[in-house]
Amino acid sequence: MILPRGIAQPTELIKQINALTPYPPGVVNFRYTLDNDWSGDPAIFFWITLSDEAARPAVLSQTSRRIMDFVTQRLDPVGQWGLIPYFNFRSQSEQASLKEEVFG
Amino acid sequence: MAYHNDLIQQAIFLSELNLPNEPKQVDLRRAVSAAYYGLFHLFTTEAAQNWKHRSQRDRFARMFDHGHMKTCSSRVSSRPLPIDPAEIPIATDLKIIADSFVKLQQARHTADYDNSKVWSRTQVWETIAQAEHAIAAWSKIREEAMAQDYLLDLISPKTGRATQI
Repeated sequence: MILPRGIAQPTELIKQINALTPYPPGVVNFRYTLDNDWSGDPAIFFWITLSDEAARPAVLSQTSRRIMDFVTQRLDPVGQWGLIPYFNFRSQSEQASLKEEVFG
Repeated sequence: MAYHNDLIQQAIFLSELNLPNEPKQVDLRRAVSAAYYGLFHLFTTEAAQNWKHRSQRDRFARMFDHGHMKTCSSRVSSRPLPIDPAEIPIATDLKIIADSFVKLQQARHTADYDNSKVWSRTQVWETIAQAEHAIAAWSKIREEAMAQDYLLDLISPKTGRATQI
């Protein structure tokens, strides 16, 4: 079985992810984890906290699309690293209340 | 209203329950599941429309396998765009649809089976928006050969040529 590059060369991947800064407007915190998805494919899960303004229902779809496009184009998780990207968003006030560790 | 639209409306309804107070996790999880099944049933219904015998269409729609649909959609979403400029808008929409399907399916799996995961309204609204976006994109390209190839590929890997984009 061939390991995807994102698993075989984690240091390179971390370097590339760190180089993504500055993030698009609205991103308050940006974290990620590597894991398999439900069907066992290697994946990268992004846990992104948005400002309350960027997470307003009226603009949420635009905000998330802009961030997903930014990460997908700059990192190319599937093509360059063999990882399926999954994005999870929440607002700053939600995270302040939920305090879920994975979102930081 | 079509069944897939009913599911999206149900997802919205569930996600907004208890506003402006904290949502219940059970409502958010069911909303995510409904959003995924909105897109899933759109594809199965669309494919079944191509089956000549109306009385067999519900049986036809049950031939779909979630795992295979994900494999097929992952392949489509990660392909480069075609060279022909006329095909680029169609392929772009199809990639959005396929990518949304993969992401919604993972979200649905987490929502249905992983009770350790805590959902927020923002996450759920973003998931629903993704389903709506994919459904809107599908309505633009549904009659295109590329879209019809995708439907066929969603049924089985053995149904012929892979979707060309």
